[in-house]
Amino acid sequence: MATTETDVAIVGAGAAGSVFAALLAEAGKRVQILETGPARELDDLYSSQIWARKLKWAEPHVPEINPQDSLSFNFNAGRGVGGAAVHHYGVWPRFHENDFKERSEFGKGLDWPLEYADLRPWYDRVQKEVGVAGDAEQEIWRPPGDPYPLPPVPRFAQGEMLAAGFEKAGLNVAPVPVAILTRPYNGRPACIWDGWCDAGCPTGALANPLVVYLARARKAGATIQADSHVTRVLSNPKGDRVTGVEYFDAQGERHELHAKLVVLTAFTIENVRILLNSAAGKKDQALANSSGRVGAYLMSHAGVIHSGLFDDDTQNHLGISGGQIINQDHFDKTGGDGAFGSRQWIGGLALKPNDLLGIAMSRVDIIGPELEPFMQNAAKKLAQIVAITEDQPVEQNRVELADDKDAYGYRLARIRYKTSPDGMGLWQQAATEGLEIMKAAGATEAWHGPKVSQHIMGGTVMGDDPERSVANSYGQAHDVGNLFLGGGGLFPTSSAVNSTFTIHAVAMRSADYVVKNWSALTD
Amino acid sequence: MPVSDRRSFLRGAGLGLLGFTVAGARVWLTPREARAADAELQTLKPDEAVSLETIGEAFAPGATEAGIAWFVDQQLGVAPNDSLLMARYFNVPPPYTDFYRASLDAINALSQARHDQVFAELDRDAATGLMREMLAGDPEGWQGPPALLVYLVLRNDAVDVVYGTPEGIESLGVPLMAHIEPPSKW
Ligand SMILES: Cc1cc2nc3c(=O)[nH]c(=O)nc-3n(C[C@H](O)[C@H](O)[C@H](O)COP(=O)(O)OP(=O)(O)OC[C@H]3O[C@@H](n4cnc5c(N)ncnc54)[C@H](O)[C@@H]3O)c2cc1C
Ligand code: SF4
Repeated sequence: MATTETDVAIVGAGAAGSVFAALLAEAGKRVQILETGPARELDDLYSSQIWARKLKWAEPHVPEINPQDSLSFNFNAGRGVGGAAVHHYGVWPRFHENDFKERSEFGKGLDWPLEYADLRPWYDRVQKEVGVAGDAEQEIWRPPGDPYPLPPVPRFAQGEMLAAGFEKAGLNVAPVPVAILTRPYNGRPACIWDGWCDAGCPTGALANPLVVYLARARKAGATIQADSHVTRVLSNPKGDRVTGVEYFDAQGERHELHAKLVVLTAFTIENVRILLNSAAGKKDQALANSSGRVGAYLMSHAGVIHSGLFDDDTQNHLGISGGQIINQDHFDKTGGDGAFGSRQWIGGLALKPNDLLGIAMSRVDIIGPELEPFMQNAAKKLAQIVAITEDQPVEQNRVELADDKDAYGYRLARIRYKTSPDGMGLWQQAATEGLEIMKAAGATEAWHGPKVSQHIMGGTVMGDDPERSVANSYGQAHDVGNLFLGGGGLFPTSSAVNSTFTIHAVAMRSADYVVKNWSALTD
Repeated sequence: MPVSDRRSFLRGAGLGLLGFTVAGARVWLTPREARAADAELQTLKPDEAVSLETIGEAFAPGATEAGIAWFVDQQLGVAPNDSLLMARYFNVPPPYTDFYRASLDAINALSQARHDQVFAELDRDAATGLMREMLAGDPEGWQGPPALLVYLVLRNDAVDVVYGTPEGIESLGVPLMAHIEPPSKW
């Protein structure tokens, strides 16, 4: 066993981990990131939907108790330096003001231990640092915030046709806000609208960790150590101070990295698994789990993709994987039909023929000789919109430990999850409304796919009450002063917006707090 | 910024990503070429390869010639975290070979039960009929991984080799516009 020592050990080199690494290294701390997956550079990002699969999760396997409500963990999770953020689509709306106090204002869900106004300065700062493109005025529903530093994404034929459909159906549209450059910015080039984002953008136009916060972290002296699988956080016998982490290298050799402060940013499921496997103190209680809430309140956005065939060419090969237009008219939480929560539309996704979100998958019933004519037609005439709907934090939806063990002898994570009834109600509304939008846009044929899961949140939620939550508003574990968490796992509510902008803002607020309070936190 | 990167190909090849054995020699081939050269299969047995080809062909005509059996066979030989198979997106538990074997056996058993023939011997209508049954859920007597999952995984494999390659994309009249071409033809 080899032991090393540093100031800060960060577990996971994705969106949240890279923000912590940059800010703490820039503040002069010795930072070491341990990443289970391989090292990854921009020139590893091949423009192929088939090769893109290497960027995602496969092992350790995560079994699910309710496969019919699958969270599609392997698809939603990344593995390797940069994490899922390397191949994410860069759609970056903000959470809304009414997402933060749902328990007090609506008697639903949970309250965040902070308000939108508390987070706003970090949204504004992140947006300036990474370069977010959008049109704040057209986003009539946007919460207060600085205008975007970059002009919005262009609209191609698909975006125009769908925008007309939304408007005809009485819905507003705005350019989708994205962390993708519409003109050169901070030494990075502008997007060229070829739609290869799902395979990872190798030019640097999309703000993935490799080109923004990991680049900054490296420059400030942080070490990024790939092929290092963290299994446990090490602590004192009482379990109220952490001393470092245990990890295994690619050869299966065990190591300890001792640190003054540990940051867990290994995405929702692995963050929970690591804590549950880090038994400490009395009765083998999992670390940071005096509330019994580690693993609880797992959430995901139930999504539905609508496809429509048009007479005219939609130019669906142009643009970005994340789409061209956004609608957030349904964010007042009333939901309608008894379903509580918000829902969002994105339209005009750039399409590829194959893969989970590809053209062929939109009609799984078409096979044999009928497939080629469909593909030929749809490659030119298909348009898509996608809805994501708010899920509720349900205590019984959780990550737990399975009996099976991984290669290192630690129990696997298992997902016990069912989409909340409110989430299902919102999904149903979207499924119906989407067909109306497609019809209004002039589709000659329109249909929608099954429920899909996007963005996995909860499991280590933040809150004011240490008896009902795992961490405070800075992601600091209530039970362990020098243990911090990052990522969507902290979110007490899911909103109906893509999560990564908020992950960045929350992580940056936490990292600032650590820098400011370093002595108190580490003494 | 790298736009088209020849080095990637060399590095991919160096990692053995495209290795097939033809007449005892190790060569770098596309699945289509591997099939044409009758390259040795590493994991699938010959009858399993034939089953996979006929099923793939029934899903997406052209899958056999595009080398579906060689593509899947080669990917079954790599670690799950390096695998390019769609099976991983559907949360199939590794090793994926178990899933493929069980799936092919289940389809052949269904075919025997309905038509007294293995799937490869069925005419087009009978083959399509069995697939429609799988799409609707587990057919009566089905023994294997969930039929819908088998359907989705194998259909995607066929679509991958026919439409997911640079050649396949361009066959649809769509410009490839790759930033970095993949190190293989798929
Ligand atoms: C196809 C796709 C499209 C998406 N598009 C969008 C979008 O448009 N907008 C948006 O807001 N979000 C999007 N997302 C979601 C986005 O990718 C995630 O919200 C974000 O990456 C989560 O950040 P994170 O830091 O929590 O996790 P990640 O970025 O995934 O980083 C976690 C890292 O931890 C590592 N790790 C895990 N376990 C261990 C361990 N035991 N030891 C060491 N390291 C470990 C992982 O390998 C990974 O590298 C998309 C996701 C996918 C899959
Ligand atoms: S479309 Fe733009 S953001 Fe997406 S991969 Fe291409 S250049 Fe990058």
